[in-house]
Amino acid sequence: MTNNARQHIHAWLLLLPAAVLLAAFTHYPAVATIWHSFFSTPKGARAAVWVGLDNYLTLIEDPVFWQVLVNNVWFALGTIPLSIVLAFVMALWVNGKIVGRGFLRMAFFTPTVLPMIAVANIWLFFYTPGYGLLEQFTVGFLGLPSHNWLGSQSTALISLMVVTIWKEAGFFMIFYLAALQAIPPVLAEAAAIEGASRTQYLLRVVIPLLMPTTLFVLVNAVINAFRLVDHIVVMTRGGPDNASALLLYYIYDVGFKFWDSAYAATLTVVLLILLGLAALFQFLVLERRTHYQ
Amino acid sequence: MLTRQLTQWMRHVFTATLISLCAALPNVVQAQATEVSFFYPVAVGGPITKLIDAFAADFEKENPTIKIKPIYSGTYQESIVKALTAMKSGEPPVLSVLLSTDMFTLIDEEAIVDWTSLAKTPEEQQWLKSFYPAFMENSQTGGKTWGIPFQRSTIVMYWNKELFKEAGLDPNKAPANWTEMLNYAKKLTRRDAAGNVTQWGVQIPSSGFPYWLFQGLTTPNNVVLMNKEGNKTYFDHPNVIEALQYWVDLSQKHKVMAPGVIEWGTTPRDFFERKVAIMWTTTGNLTNVKNNAKFDFGVAMLPASKRAGSPTGGGNFYLFKKSTPAQQQAALKFVKWITSPERAAQWGIDTGYVAVRPDAFDTLTMRKYAAGFPPAAVARDQLQYSVAELSTHENQRVTKALNDGLQAALTGTKKPDQAMKDAQREAERILRPYRK
Amino acid sequence: MSAIRLQQVSKAWAEVHAVADVSFTAQAGQFVTLLGPSGCGKSTTLRLIAGLETPTSGSVHLFDRDVTHQTPAQRHLSMVFQSYALFPHLDVAQNILFGLKVRGVGAAECALRLQRTAELLGLGALLHRKPAQLSGGQQQRVALGRAIIAETPVCLMDEPLSNLDAQLRQEMRQELRALQRQLGITMVYVTHDQTEAMSMADQVILMHAGRIEQNATPAELYAQPATVFAARFIGTPPMNVVALPEHAPAGVLLGVRPEAIRLASDTGHAAQVLAVEYLGADSLLTCRIGAAQLNARVPGHHANAVGATVRLVWHAEDEHFFDAASGHRLTQPPRQHVEMVR
Repeated sequence: MTNNARQHIHAWLLLLPAAVLLAAFTHYPAVATIWHSFFSTPKGARAAVWVGLDNYLTLIEDPVFWQVLVNNVWFALGTIPLSIVLAFVMALWVNGKIVGRGFLRMAFFTPTVLPMIAVANIWLFFYTPGYGLLEQFTVGFLGLPSHNWLGSQSTALISLMVVTIWKEAGFFMIFYLAALQAIPPVLAEAAAIEGASRTQYLLRVVIPLLMPTTLFVLVNAVINAFRLVDHIVVMTRGGPDNASALLLYYIYDVGFKFWDSAYAATLTVVLLILLGLAALFQFLVLERRTHYQ
Repeated sequence: MLTRQLTQWMRHVFTATLISLCAALPNVVQAQATEVSFFYPVAVGGPITKLIDAFAADFEKENPTIKIKPIYSGTYQESIVKALTAMKSGEPPVLSVLLSTDMFTLIDEEAIVDWTSLAKTPEEQQWLKSFYPAFMENSQTGGKTWGIPFQRSTIVMYWNKELFKEAGLDPNKAPANWTEMLNYAKKLTRRDAAGNVTQWGVQIPSSGFPYWLFQGLTTPNNVVLMNKEGNKTYFDHPNVIEALQYWVDLSQKHKVMAPGVIEWGTTPRDFFERKVAIMWTTTGNLTNVKNNAKFDFGVAMLPASKRAGSPTGGGNFYLFKKSTPAQQQAALKFVKWITSPERAAQWGIDTGYVAVRPDAFDTLTMRKYAAGFPPAAVARDQLQYSVAELSTHENQRVTKALNDGLQAALTGTKKPDQAMKDAQREAERILRPYRK
Repeated sequence: MSAIRLQQVSKAWAEVHAVADVSFTAQAGQFVTLLGPSGCGKSTTLRLIAGLETPTSGSVHLFDRDVTHQTPAQRHLSMVFQSYALFPHLDVAQNILFGLKVRGVGAAECALRLQRTAELLGLGALLHRKPAQLSGGQQQRVALGRAIIAETPVCLMDEPLSNLDAQLRQEMRQELRALQRQLGITMVYVTHDQTEAMSMADQVILMHAGRIEQNATPAELYAQPATVFAARFIGTPPMNVVALPEHAPAGVLLGVRPEAIRLASDTGHAAQVLAVEYLGADSLLTCRIGAAQLNARVPGHHANAVGATVRLVWHAEDEHFFDAASGHRLTQPPRQHVEMVR
């Protein structure tokens, strides 16, 4: 009994540093954010006062909030599946026995290593109307009319999505590549003997075996869809007219440009709820269908 | 055994304490000197940090009791975030260069003290009056001076003389008014056989902070965007709408400017690549254009409409409230020193920013420089027509309302008058509490 | 009809010959083992039959059909891998049915065959378990089930029993052999274990350094090893192959199996005992005659014999002769030998 109790105390003492850090830098800020969302923004000598649901009513009536929310949903729907599929295809490709696959792996991984700010600066010139690399192809080669990719409401968000996919796919590819290499080659041989085609092997063996990786990548992709805003700062600053603004970018605007910390807290609560729901769906629904080795 | 370990441990502790004490000693000595921490908005090291470091060192040599500690704090936006969050956690810098337009925000946050009450001697009072009035517009409110101009700029027009010649225009004469600029731009816009534009006539960037460039149109159209108290805007004034209509028409009606929102960052590059014949950008780009343009170029004042005019821009010195009287006096001394005519002139020559006081242009160094490189004087000549950059209470929220409206009009999703009425309504909503 | 025929098959990777000029035939319904030490090319030969490798030269025929350039699927055969190669995400039933499902066999047929196979292998209670929840022996049975449910005429096995413990291995040997007979399939079985090869096979193909050393029945392999390598590979302990001037002239090696050697009291070769290994029913004596060292397997316990001198005798019919240069068996005993007998 005493021995057992001592073991428990030991266990808790060992966990304490991590628990303190987690509480101080994750749990406390989250709770504080929710708390602050029910107060007004303190300004100078004016302290914050309890305003109840006022901030939430403002939020419901804020057209910019709804626009960035819709933008973010499109951004997630556009970037997550495509970057995952692309990562998977690239991993399959560089996992094969082809000449120069070392070079190819490096090429695919490079975007991940580069800082997003640097990447965004490269892409900014890539999208430049007239002489940008993209226009040199679409106008110079395909003969299409010139288009202001980042400066039009119809293409600004899509242009940012392409950058995100390009940046993320290489990162996710590494996880898929590692998982693919963990699959014993003898499984492919067994499937071949059993009469399975390449496609059947892919569908019935490889993809199910990669489910844990897919789940992991999916969690990351969802988080990133709401977290990556560096390229917006560099490339469009949310413009034109909020066409490419995402939720987190708007939170930054409200918090650190407008200095309206209470409303920023309210927006953050929405973000927390969204991410919480995504995590819940992933772990309750997808987890069940996943085989862990 | 245990005793020996214990003694050894004690010895370690003792040595460590001694070392840290010794390390702390210089600080103790210098605590008698007044330290002035100083946020300066530079993202990465380079020529500008060297200049600032040299200024600080020279000042310290002349004033051994004062220690200037420059902290390079990133972009303007990053700097104000750092300064205000540092203040909220109790340790703001003593001094900081931040956007002149952040004045109302800093006042509302009760972060800064005004220079007027600090400048007690007649000589100091005189110093406060030594700057260009155009720069002081963004530095004063309610009869007090809150910011000292330092890293200031304005918008000017750059043109490619070679392309002017090709188009049959006088390469040494810039368009002087809106009609001329439109006519020139029509001649400077070139299309290939398929009708695709290969060279645009004019380019006014509209990403990020279009309101500032828009002031380059509203000012000549004889209208200001806000009152001096920073609690009322005039976005729906007919002259404002007329100015926006002119801007929108450049691309949508006359097709002499690229459609949609034009990126600020790539505009100089567009100019170097000869994709555009006339560009509007900051005087801060002067050195950049001088080094990178492979052709003869000219710099001129922005074209006039009902009058000449351009907004000022850039950063001011602010003094933070949470500092000791000694630090405030030291900071005043430093700011006075660094804005003296000779240093203001040198700073302008080295960086391309506009020297902040008229007597700086009378110095020998500046006269020599301007004689060899006339574009350097254009910004100065324009200052007499310049107005304050848009700055109000809740500044960034109000400017965002205007920015969104401008971009909506430029991309064609809203008509100019509708866009400006919407922006004005939003600004009214935000500013109404500040008029009580 | 020959079920499997290899004609001068070679497989090389960058100048290294894994399999060189291998030809053999397996009749339908035969149990053939490919035997040899690791690296001898036996697994590569099996993979060439399966179609998992393509030969550098030569051809592979199944039931007189040239399948050299066909995919494994087109060859319609089954295979059991050393590691079993079970799909970890599928349960036992899904693993066994994998081949039928991808080939589009109907659900009713699948259920019927699954039931039959599960019954045959005693897997009925395990059908809904995942491979990770099974013991090694159970996994082995699932792999077997996956191979036989396909009802292919040819089944290939790559050291299927090597991961099992000794007792289970012996049980499985008998079971596999019985199963092969019962189903009437042609089996090619790769092993490095001569006991497995000798006890199960109709025909043993002994390989060495990528080539076939001897292709014979187990009895023939034991009684008439074709080469020194075959002689030294088969038998526990293997045959003594020594240069013994009294029995074989220079250039000829004498082979005699340890179990053919007896101890005698007055006649035979004087030999010094170097070591004794007690095996229970008998003992293994390591002896030296002149410069030659021989093993003798003799009944009884000889714990105190180390260092002693004994006399060794054997029958002339137990003597084998090999050409020292080529290693090949000499069919006629060398003439000098007769003269040397006392």
